[in-house]
Amino acid sequence: MLAFLGSAGVVSALAGAVVLVVRGIRVARGGSSDLVAPSRLVLASAVIAMVAMELALLSDDFSLAYVANNHATTTPFPFDVATAWAALEGSIILWGLILAVFIWATTLKYRSSPDRLGAAALAVMGGVAIFFFGLMITVSNPFEVCVEALSTGCAASSPWPLAAAAVPADGPGPNALLQNHFLMAIHPPVLYVGYVGLTVPFAYAIGALSLGVPGPEWLKRSHRSTLVAWSFLTLGIILGGWWAYEVLSWGGYWAWDPVENASLLPWLVATAFIHSGLVQQRRGMLQAWNFVLVISAFALTILGTFLTRSGTINSVHSFTQSAIGPALLGFMVLVLVGSFTLFSMRSHLVATSPRIQSFVSREGSFLVNNLLLAVYAFVVLIGTTYPLLLEAFTGTQVGVGEPFFNRLAVPLSFLLLLTMGFGPVTPWKGAAPGLLWRRLRGPTIIALAAGIVTALVVTRVGWVVLVVTLGLFVSSAILGLLLELARSRTEKSGRPLPSEIRTVLGNDQSFWAGQLSHVGVVLVAVGIAFAANLPAHLQVELAPGDSVDFAGYTLVYDSPFRRNEPNRVVQGARIDVLKEDRRLTTLEPRLNFYEALATTVITPAVMTQPDGDLYLTLRRIDADTIDLDLDTSPMIWLIWLGGLTTAAGGFWSLAVRRTERATERDRVVAHV
Amino acid sequence: MSDRVRSLTTATLIVVMAVALLFLISTQPATVDRVEEIGARIKCPVCQGESIANSPSPMAEDMMDLVSERVAAGFSDQQIIDELLSSYSGALLLDPPPSGNTLVLWVAPVAALVVGLAVIAWWKRHPGPAEEVSVSPSGQRSRTRLLTGGLILVATFTAIVVLAGNSLQDRAASASGAADLGDQDLADVSNETMEAVIEANLDNPEVNGMRLALAERYFEVGDYRSAFPHYLVVAEDVEAAPAEAITALVRLGWMAYDGNGEVETATRLVDEALAIDPESSVALYVKALIRWCGRGEAEAATRIFEDLLGDPELETETRTRVESDLRLAQDGEDCQ
Repeated sequence: MLAFLGSAGVVSALAGAVVLVVRGIRVARGGSSDLVAPSRLVLASAVIAMVAMELALLSDDFSLAYVANNHATTTPFPFDVATAWAALEGSIILWGLILAVFIWATTLKYRSSPDRLGAAALAVMGGVAIFFFGLMITVSNPFEVCVEALSTGCAASSPWPLAAAAVPADGPGPNALLQNHFLMAIHPPVLYVGYVGLTVPFAYAIGALSLGVPGPEWLKRSHRSTLVAWSFLTLGIILGGWWAYEVLSWGGYWAWDPVENASLLPWLVATAFIHSGLVQQRRGMLQAWNFVLVISAFALTILGTFLTRSGTINSVHSFTQSAIGPALLGFMVLVLVGSFTLFSMRSHLVATSPRIQSFVSREGSFLVNNLLLAVYAFVVLIGTTYPLLLEAFTGTQVGVGEPFFNRLAVPLSFLLLLTMGFGPVTPWKGAAPGLLWRRLRGPTIIALAAGIVTALVVTRVGWVVLVVTLGLFVSSAILGLLLELARSRTEKSGRPLPSEIRTVLGNDQSFWAGQLSHVGVVLVAVGIAFAANLPAHLQVELAPGDSVDFAGYTLVYDSPFRRNEPNRVVQGARIDVLKEDRRLTTLEPRLNFYEALATTVITPAVMTQPDGDLYLTLRRIDADTIDLDLDTSPMIWLIWLGGLTTAAGGFWSLAVRRTERATERDRVVAHV
Repeated sequence: MSDRVRSLTTATLIVVMAVALLFLISTQPATVDRVEEIGARIKCPVCQGESIANSPSPMAEDMMDLVSERVAAGFSDQQIIDELLSSYSGALLLDPPPSGNTLVLWVAPVAALVVGLAVIAWWKRHPGPAEEVSVSPSGQRSRTRLLTGGLILVATFTAIVVLAGNSLQDRAASASGAADLGDQDLADVSNETMEAVIEANLDNPEVNGMRLALAERYFEVGDYRSAFPHYLVVAEDVEAAPAEAITALVRLGWMAYDGNGEVETATRLVDEALAIDPESSVALYVKALIRWCGRGEAEAATRIFEDLLGDPELETETRTRVESDLRLAQDGEDCQ
C-alpha cells in the first residue's frame, strides 16, 4: 500500500517536472502557459513520497525493501524518522522534496512578477527535478517491494509496487554510526538544503544565458536563494564536524572522511560567488566569472553527492557496483558540458568587464578573495579526486592527506584572513590616499599586541600566534569601522554613540551581516589553530579505583557499567573528573554494541570547559581493567561557535527586508 | 605633534612590535614529536584516509609502536617510513613528494594561482571601457572566448571518455563484479587490487575466497602482519565456508606460534579448527607441529603424524612433508 502510494508520488512528481519543463520553455519563448499548477503538483507529489516513506518507517512496514534493510522495530525516536535519509535511496527522496520546495518558492516569486527569465529558470529546475525523480524510478528506487525475506532484512526486491511482498520479521536498523547521536538526524537535511539551494542561482544563470540577458537581473533574483543555500551549507558542514567529533572521535581535519571535503568544495565556490556577485551588482564587473562560479558550484554539489554516494571514495572499484555512480557522474558531465556550451554560444552577449581602476578598492579585494577561494577550492578538488583518478587510470595508489592539504591550504587561509581585514574597510572604486592607513593602523597595533601577549602567556607555537594576530586584525578592523561611522554621525547629530551604532548597523544590515560572518570565520580559524596545535594525549590502562593526572585534571576510574537498551547494549566506564580536589563531573565513555548490525561504536565522553574540552575515549573494557584514551581539544568550542556565527551572518542577511531603510547617503557613508 | 610625526611614530611602533612577534615565534623551543610527525604522514591501511597517528585502530597503534621503537633506536625518518611502507601493504605516504605521478598535485595549484594573477594583471591593463558596462558586439573577442570554451569542452570530453573506457575495462576485468568473485582466476591480480576489491566488497560473503587467497600470498612470503587481519576476518565470519574457516584458524594458530611464540593461543585456535572438522589434515598437521615444536612433545606429534599418513586421501606433497617430519620426530630431533 505504502509502496504504491510512494511510487505514485514519485511518478506524478516526475510527470509534474516534465510538464514544468515543457511549459516553462513555452513561456520563456514568449508564449503563455500556467506554471503554477505543475510546480504545485511536483511539491504535493514529493510530499506524498516523503510521507509514505516516513509512515512506512514509523509503522515498521518491512514489506518495503528500504525499510527492511535500514530500519528495525527497536530503532528509537527520532532515529526512525531520520532513517528516511540514512541510506542512499531514502536520501534521494529528501533531495527531491527539498528541490520541490525550492521550485515552489521560485514559482511564488514568478507568480508575483511573471516574466520570461523566471519561466526559463523554472524550466531548468524542472529539468534537474526530472533527473532526481528519474533516479527514484530507475537506479535508486526507495519504494521497491521486498520479494525475498531474510530473517532480518531483505534479500531481493521488485520495483513493481504491487508485487507480492515477502515481509521479514525485522530489519537490522540504520547504520550504527547514524543512530548514535541526535545531530545525525538533523545534519543531512540541513546540508541538503544547502546543496539543493544552489540549484536556484544555477537555474537563473542558465535561464539568463538561454534568453541572452546576462545582465545582473539573474543575480538579483537568485540572491536570496543563494544566501539560503550558503547559510544552510555552512550550518550543515559545522553540524557534520560536530557530529563527527562527538561520535567518531574525529580523526583530523581533512582526512577522516573525504565527504567533508566534498561539502567544503561547493561552500568555497558559493562563498566566492556571493562576493563576486556583489561586484557585478555594484560595478558591473565579473559577469563571465559569475557564470563560471555558479555553474561550478552546482556541478560540485553533484560531484559531492557522487563521491559520497557511489562508494568511489572507499575504492575506485566500487564505482561500477551501483548504477547511481555512473548516473550522477553522467549528470554532472551533462551539466558541465551543456552549461559551458551554452555559455560559449552566448559569450558575445556577456559584457566585457569595465577596467578596474585600482586594486586598492573593494572590488580589488574581492578580486583577490575570489582568486584565493578559487585556488583553495582547486586544491581541495585536486587533493580529493587525484588519488581516485590516478588509480582509475593507472592502478597506482597514492595517498593525499592532511600534510598535503595543510601545506597548501594553510597559507591560503592566512592570505584569506588578511584580505578579510583589508576588504571591508576599503571603499568601492578606490581608496583616498591615507584612508587605509588611518583605518588599519589601530587594528594592526591591537593585533600585534594580542599576538605578543599570546606568545608570552599562552603559547609560542607560530601558527597559533599568527592566527590570533590575524583574527584580532580582522575583528578590530570591523569594529573600528563601525565605531568610526557611528562617531562621525554623533558629531553631526549629537545623539549618543550607542544609538548611532544601532543606526549604522540598521542602515546597511546586509553589509554588517557579512561582517558577522567574517567574525565567525575568524573564530573558526582560531579554534582550529588551538585544537590542532596544542592538544595533549595520553593512553592509560586503569582498574577500578585507579586515578591518573592529566592536563591539570585528576581522573578516577569509579566503576564499569552495562545496560541493555532496545537497539543496543551500552558498556561504559564511570570516570570522576577532579580539579584541585574538587569534583567537576562524572564522564561516561562508552562502547555501544548494536547487535543486529554486529557493530560496536566507540562513543567518547566530552567535558567542555572555557579553555577547551576533555575528551575520553574507551578503547577496551573487561571486568578488571579498561584502556582509556585521554585527549584535550583546546578551545575547540570556538569552531562550533564560529561556524554558527558564520551561518548566523547569512541568516541575518536573509532577514533584512528588501526595502532597506538605508538612504543613499548612508550607503555612501558606509562604504566610502 | 604634527600628523606626520604621529604617523611616523605609529609606523615605528608597528615595525618594532612585528619584529618582536617574529622573534618570539622563531625562537620558540622546538617541541617536535618525531613519532607523531612521522605517524601523521602515513596512511593507516585499514582506515578511510586517516593517518596512523590519528587512527584508533589496532593496526595503526601497532604501527605507531613500531615508529616509537625505531625513533628511540635512532633510525632516520626516511628509514622508518620506508620500513612502514614496505612491511604494511596498504600503507601510503600521505605527503607525496613532488615527483613523478604526484608532481601535478603540487604544480597545478601553484600554476592556477599564477595564471589567476596573470589574468588579473592583464585585466588591469587591457583597454576595456573605463567605467560603464558595455555589450561587445560579436567580434574578435567573442571568437577568443569561443575558442577557450571549445578547448575546455574538448578537454572535459576527453577526460570523460578515457574515464568511462577505463571503468568499463575495470568492470570487464577484475575489480568490480560482485557476483563472480568466487570464480575468478586470481593469479594475475596484484595484492593492491585484491585489497581494493576486498575493501569494496566488505559485505559480500564471496569475498572471503579472495581474502584467503591474498592472505595466503602474504603468509607465504612471511608477511604475517598483512596476512593477519584477513585471516581474522574469515575466522570470525560465522557464514564462512567450513574449509575457509579452518584454513584461516590454522594459519592464525601457526602465526601465533611462529610469530609470537604464543603456544596456548595457537593450540586454542587449531582446536577451534578441529572442532569444525576433526578430520582436517591441515589442522592435524599444524597441531602436531605446535605440540612438537612448541611443547617438545615429540611422541604426541609422532602419533598424529602416523594417523595422518593412514589417511589415503592425503595429498602427495603434504604426505612427503609429514613423512620427513615423522622421521625427525621419531629420531628425537628438534623440529625445524
